[in-house]
Amino acid sequence: MTERNVPHAELSTGPTDWKSGAMQARIARRYRRERIFQSLGLGAVVISVLFLVFLLGNIVKNGAYGFVQTSVSIDVTFSADLLGDPTSLSPEAFTEKVRKTNMLRLIQTSMQELFPEVKGRRDTRTLLRIVSTGARAQLRNMILADPALIGTTKRVELLTSDDIDQVIKGNIDISLPEANRKVKDNELSWLQTLQNDDRISLNFHSQFLTGGDSREPELAGVWGAIVGSAFTLMVTLLTAFPIGLCAAIYLEEFAPKNRFTDIIEININNLAAVPSIVFGLLGLAVFLSVMGMPRSAPIVGGLTLALLTLPTVIIASRASIAAVPPSIRDAARGLGASPMQVVFHHVIPLAMPGIMTGTIIGMARALGESAPLLMIGMVAFIVDIPGSINDAATVLPVQIYLWADSPERAFVEKTSAAIMVLLFFLIAMNGIAIWLRQKFEQKW
Amino acid sequence: MTNFTIFIVIAVMAMISFALVRQKSVAIVGGATQQLHSLPRYHGYYAAVRVFAPCLFLFLLWIIGGETVIENLVVAGLPDSVKNVSGDQISLILNRIQLAVQHGEASTTDANILAAADKYSSLYNKGLWATFSLTLAVGLLGYYLSNSRTHADYRARNSFEKTISVALAASSFLAVVVTLGIVASLIFESLRFFQQVPIQDFLFGLHWSPQTALRADQVASVGAFGSIPLFAGTFLISTLAMLVAGPIGLFAAIYLTQYANRTVRAVAKPVLEILAGVPTVVYGFFAALTVAPMLRDAGGAIGVDVASESALAAGLVMGVMIIPFVSSLSDDAITAVPSSLKDGSFALGATKAETITQVLLPAALPGVVGAFLLAISRAIGETMIVVMAAGMRPNLTANPLEAVTTVTVQIVALLTGDQEFDSPKTLSAFALGLALFVITLLLNVAALRMVRKYREAYD
Amino acid sequence: MRNFSKYAAVAVIALFGASSTGAFAQDQIRVVGSSTVFPFATAAAEEFGNTTNFKTPIIESTGTGGGMKLFCAGLGSSHPDIANASRRIKQSELDLCHKNGVDEVVEVKIGFDGIVLAASKNAEPMQFSLRDLYLALAAQVPAPNTEGGLGNMVPNPYKTWNQVNPNLPSLEIQVLGPPPTSGTRDAFNELAIEGGCKTFTGMKALKKSDKRTYKAYCRGIREDGVFIEAGENDNLIVQKIQANEQVIGIFGFSFLEQNADVIQAYPVSKSGKTAQEPTFDAISDGAYPISRSLFIYGKKAHVGIVPGLQEFMAEMIGDNAAGDLGYLTDRGLIPLPDSERATFQSDVQNLTKLKLN
Repeated sequence: MTERNVPHAELSTGPTDWKSGAMQARIARRYRRERIFQSLGLGAVVISVLFLVFLLGNIVKNGAYGFVQTSVSIDVTFSADLLGDPTSLSPEAFTEKVRKTNMLRLIQTSMQELFPEVKGRRDTRTLLRIVSTGARAQLRNMILADPALIGTTKRVELLTSDDIDQVIKGNIDISLPEANRKVKDNELSWLQTLQNDDRISLNFHSQFLTGGDSREPELAGVWGAIVGSAFTLMVTLLTAFPIGLCAAIYLEEFAPKNRFTDIIEININNLAAVPSIVFGLLGLAVFLSVMGMPRSAPIVGGLTLALLTLPTVIIASRASIAAVPPSIRDAARGLGASPMQVVFHHVIPLAMPGIMTGTIIGMARALGESAPLLMIGMVAFIVDIPGSINDAATVLPVQIYLWADSPERAFVEKTSAAIMVLLFFLIAMNGIAIWLRQKFEQKW
Repeated sequence: MTNFTIFIVIAVMAMISFALVRQKSVAIVGGATQQLHSLPRYHGYYAAVRVFAPCLFLFLLWIIGGETVIENLVVAGLPDSVKNVSGDQISLILNRIQLAVQHGEASTTDANILAAADKYSSLYNKGLWATFSLTLAVGLLGYYLSNSRTHADYRARNSFEKTISVALAASSFLAVVVTLGIVASLIFESLRFFQQVPIQDFLFGLHWSPQTALRADQVASVGAFGSIPLFAGTFLISTLAMLVAGPIGLFAAIYLTQYANRTVRAVAKPVLEILAGVPTVVYGFFAALTVAPMLRDAGGAIGVDVASESALAAGLVMGVMIIPFVSSLSDDAITAVPSSLKDGSFALGATKAETITQVLLPAALPGVVGAFLLAISRAIGETMIVVMAAGMRPNLTANPLEAVTTVTVQIVALLTGDQEFDSPKTLSAFALGLALFVITLLLNVAALRMVRKYREAYD
Repeated sequence: MRNFSKYAAVAVIALFGASSTGAFAQDQIRVVGSSTVFPFATAAAEEFGNTTNFKTPIIESTGTGGGMKLFCAGLGSSHPDIANASRRIKQSELDLCHKNGVDEVVEVKIGFDGIVLAASKNAEPMQFSLRDLYLALAAQVPAPNTEGGLGNMVPNPYKTWNQVNPNLPSLEIQVLGPPPTSGTRDAFNELAIEGGCKTFTGMKALKKSDKRTYKAYCRGIREDGVFIEAGENDNLIVQKIQANEQVIGIFGFSFLEQNADVIQAYPVSKSGKTAQEPTFDAISDGAYPISRSLFIYGKKAHVGIVPGLQEFMAEMIGDNAAGDLGYLTDRGLIPLPDSERATFQSDVQNLTKLKLN
């Protein structure tokens, strides 16, 4: 192939002398190039993979602690005076009474038993801050679930506040002078006492995976965002994939090659370069203003992201449809298949791995996108877990973005942990892609 | 009765008519299906389409328009004393009515509202039933038509295929509609912007200074809206990113398709794709806190002054992010080249490297160019990495060691900032979007021309 | 292929199932606006959801301008009930509100946000007067050793802090701050840069005679790379100043509080006063010069229609939240003086209509 520089005269004199020094040198050079080329390719793969490993390692290092949370065991006396007597009250009245009770008083009593020396409003307040604000709801739910607790004393594991949690995890440098840290000396001494009593423990924190968003790092969970992402992606997939595939089929197989289809083609390529926030503007104008869909809802987010992923899906699908050799089409036509049958029975199944790849890349982008969602109200603080595609919801990348922007130190690890969750889904999606590809991949 | 039930009924009707008509077509010819013009299943498909399409249309009509009609009816029925208010107040009243529908008497004690709520509920129910009966009737009619037309010579396949091809064309037309929508959502605001700032200042100005321009009491001072530095920044960062992603992505694709064994390929390809899915916030933090200081220190060590927010850091990291766009799609394009070409080349004594560079890549050119285009597009549209790593300073420079900003960063900042939304300053975001749209359009036209010219069609 | 279509069909049906709700009314408070108020509004919303029978409000972070646009777009369930703002509402925005039927807007100032200048703990301690900040960061400054005035302004020549003020160390000036689109930047310009500018003789006279020139002189920040415009992510600025000891960052007070173990704030002085560290008390009583007010705006017409609206506004300004020992104060909100807070509490109670003078 590279022999164009060999003079004709030499070629015509007879068989090439492969043993000649010039020829050997040339062959050696070609093989050397071959080796360099191969190692370049290997190098490219290795660099990319190394980078990924480095990035993932970084995230895991920061995020692993996000899945565990410090809790403190204290003996809580469920006093009937305070909470009401379930035997004498009707269930409704009892529930109402428990709801209205300030659970902080239960915690206060228990904590003051442990630290009788703490007096005064300010100190007591600080002491109570060891326990998370979520402890109130935790106690309330315990009592409502089991009214028999009333009148007993039980050792309960309560979450600590994020500051205490950060001390235990070593993220706050306690060797600094007191004025320079958030957790003061008296809190540290209490914490020491609790630790000596073996009341402090670091446990796997399932609420992070099952709870909704919260402003308290120790209570914040990603489930709301996961559900939101799932609804949104479902809408995106169900709109972008069929429409994208159909558009790709039409453009590649049926469209007449004229100026109009050229325009469509350029258009689609061009859409891929439109900044994603502009799609948000379009979504705002079309879905919210004109069609009156609910704000912050996954259906709007999904449709907006579908507009965004459509070009990716179309471009990738077209490329892989174009890649099916004409001989396949000719053979099918020759056997009497209609153009439609050729496409749907032969071309599409063969092109499917590529189409899947494109769709999954597109979906992965949609999964990680947050800018267009800003315009349609999904960059929001939403506590409730969405129940349908019409409920207000947020998505994982937005959750990550919002947490990354939060002042509390404890959100750093939550951010990384949420990224790990997002990556898990991404890897799962890629796993599906591998499976599909291996099932369908064709060589000819 | 709910919307869901109606939808299920429509779907079931379509399935049943598929089965019945299919059976009938078989029965007509007594099982000798070769006598039919179309295969039995095409008779079935076409019947299903005839049932499903009009029913779905009716159903969507109800979903989209039904509530508005009911709301208008309810409002019209309100006593004059309640409804004689401005248009916006009406929507408040409607909200109260809807709350009453959901929560009953707990939400209000106003008898008018409660009565309206009752009316709303009953109308809504009537609407549901009406939709239901109508879709049922239309569905049955569709079935009857298909059924009566089914005979041996009926060209069911052709009709069905015609329907499909209309659907296909409509889908691709949607892309045009989206484009029109985007242009429309940008153009009006852009025009308002250009009324206040001369277009030539915007296009050819060398100085972008939002701070002078953003003061509320200082109407667009001259020379503050030159977009050239922003486009230069976009160009610089995208070039850097492509310098990373282009070679790495292409070589990775070549290695994975031509050299790697099946297992390596099966693992490495999806692993690379993960790079595209890592949220850009993560890359942003990585670029800002790991890569940028590293570059600054490295620069300091060899005596080069590197800004702590450099275009280089953003470009490098962005390049890594878009590797999968290049590698995955190029990979598909290369795999798709018929192996006969490769075999031919080997047979002539070419090495693998020679085969790849001189046979496979030219044949795969359209796909590879498409992959590059997509990657460039992604780089141009990326925001978070630049915001975090390269800062927001408009800077007309070709030096990758300085801080720059990009068009998309400015658009996002302008749209989400604390400034008045309708001020000419915020409107500049729309003008930037439009300009970016036009520029990438030109880029794509050029690329398409190029592919057409150099495309090699084989097989 | 055929299996695949089957799954797709099932998925479509499931989707319709998920979306099939009847009439849906808004029974949740919707809040939009500033990203600075966002952490406070969300904390209040969560507390509100936990302690009352109302649903937890939905808080969006859109930026003040975008929030105002949404807020003023009209009445009814498709428009938000409350807008958060890191600056006061502008007349033009109020006009837009009125044009769209939002006639009565209730204004509540919930507190202050301090804007701090901080650097890594390892950096050399410094303290600045507003005049120092002006000289270091303004685009145009009086020619060195002059008092400025119309003919005497030059593009900022200073490169190190001791050129600005001999008492400061000879460190390179490098400041990471918010972009011009941000409200924090506006407040910094107005309070720090303009505050320093006014200390030069003749500037006040200039303000009266030629407002435009005055603003160009006193509010422009230099664009030659000394002032680095970072994004609006304050955590990122904190991390960047930790990584680079030579850089000073400008950001919100709550981020200082959370990171007091790794960064130090520089005291700032008004002209003729002693320098003040940014602390709760100093910001609250105005001794620390760079702070701004945070607002929320509610729609009176929505009260009684959106459940809990008035109660939520009362929650945000309540002593329990925005008071001296309130939970918002714990998160870095600087409380209003008691009397001013009482005024706004009664404004919420009476739904007093906002009038811009």
